[in-house]
Amino acid sequence: MLLQLRRTTTKYSAITMTNLQNQLAYVWEALNRAVFIILIMFVFIQLWTAVYESQGATEIAGLSLSATIWYFLIAEVMELGKIRHDERISEEVKDGSVAYTLTRPYNYLAYHFFNGLGETAVKMTLIFLLGLPLVVYYAGWPTLQPQHALPVLLVAALAMLLDFFVFSIIGLLAFVTEDTFSFRLIYQKLVFILGGLMLPLDFLPAWLQPLARVLPFNLTTYAPAKLFVAFTWAQFWQILALQAIWLTIFGLVLLRQYRWATRQLVVNGG
Amino acid sequence: MMKRIQAELSFLRALVGVNLASAMEYRASFISQIVGMFINNGIYFIFWIIFFNQFGTVRGYNMDEIFLLFAIVTLGYGLGFMFAGNTRQYMAYLVAQGRLDYYLVFPRNLLLHVIFSKMIVSTVGDVAFGLIAYSFTGRFTLVEIALFLSTAVLAAIIFVGYSVITGSLAFYMGNAQYASQQMTNAMLTFSLYPNSLFSGAARMMLYTVIPAAFVGSVPVDIVRYQDGRLLLLLLAAAVAVWLVALAMFYYGLRRYESGSAINVNV
Repeated sequence: MLLQLRRTTTKYSAITMTNLQNQLAYVWEALNRAVFIILIMFVFIQLWTAVYESQGATEIAGLSLSATIWYFLIAEVMELGKIRHDERISEEVKDGSVAYTLTRPYNYLAYHFFNGLGETAVKMTLIFLLGLPLVVYYAGWPTLQPQHALPVLLVAALAMLLDFFVFSIIGLLAFVTEDTFSFRLIYQKLVFILGGLMLPLDFLPAWLQPLARVLPFNLTTYAPAKLFVAFTWAQFWQILALQAIWLTIFGLVLLRQYRWATRQLVVNGG
Repeated sequence: MMKRIQAELSFLRALVGVNLASAMEYRASFISQIVGMFINNGIYFIFWIIFFNQFGTVRGYNMDEIFLLFAIVTLGYGLGFMFAGNTRQYMAYLVAQGRLDYYLVFPRNLLLHVIFSKMIVSTVGDVAFGLIAYSFTGRFTLVEIALFLSTAVLAAIIFVGYSVITGSLAFYMGNAQYASQQMTNAMLTFSLYPNSLFSGAARMMLYTVIPAAFVGSVPVDIVRYQDGRLLLLLLAAAVAVWLVALAMFYYGLRRYESGSAINVNV
């Protein structure tokens, strides 16, 4: 049993390390893609500075301008660093190569997750480091207490897992619809508004906030970013409970969908 | 001269027709890309509705100006890349890979042939969105409509000209795909935000290196204040952008090296 566990851990960590090495080999390319964060953070900083000025307020919904700027950096790191494997799954389904990848000695979805981790680690680090100088210049250093760092990291890790589940469901929809572009787009755009990417949930109209807080979108982006800038244990436990509920729901849907999809696959030899 | 222009125009018309036919070959993908872009723009719109609802006017901009800004930018962007989509990273790729040979052998205007050889399907969604967004502005006098359409066309010309500049960077720096993509994205991103948010060097940049002001805020002011002088300024900006684009492209072409690749354009 222990031997089996050790073999499995070694196998998947090797997958992560291989992709990490690949990403590091082409770090210049990854850096070029990540440069976008400087532009978008600059625009956000100008916009929210103007908003705080026009409101004549030092705080809006409990967030200072500095906290809001840091919030956007973390939210962007979460959004731009996501594991984007759904397109790969759809491509594999469309071109039929899924027939080969499914027979390999690993779990298909676990492979995509651990493979994506290597890429995501490089992307998130680069995005954070590129955005950091601008954010520190305009907002100073963050006020996160060291004892809150671990809970924030836990929520961020669960956020990535939740997001991975949703993108896997979207990718596997290719078995039914072939093209999954519109599903991906709709999910991403829901994260923009209801996930807190463009506005922290606290800034949404009062009637929309309760709905946005229980839906899964905010748990992937808003949750880690908000806890990073204004940590409270009460909000941490609430977010953790919601993440557990949505992970269970999406996990069950994904499992069912995966079993169904693998049964649909017909492989003709030759 | 007139015959030459007529021949070029009919060639371009044929190119656009072929692009459209080939895009519509995959009907589901064609529709989903257009609808997808429509939703994409719609979400930004919803963001601004919530934003102004919560915070009121910010630096002279409120929802009315945003409707107009989105109408002009999306229509301009859509019109530009619906017809002339083979610019920015696509052009940079052709140059870096030495794949301009295919176009060089034709007895046609090289630059026009290159840029009109690709249609960005999703921009049809931008065009539709721009027209619908304009219907929310409540500006329906003949002068306002004429100014809206003419500024959107000028914005399209500037968008394409600027993306020829960014695509031509490949002649000078080799692999310029990311640089050209980022620069065009920067122009689009900045153009969709009120110009009054930016000051100092950043504002100066929006009138020069990344001329986003000329496809966003300036056209909005032209329609808002029915300002003829600003319209002339916009026209001058379009000419200037294209002079730089032509210089960058044709001067760069002297440095072009063929990839000797066998290239099949289907």
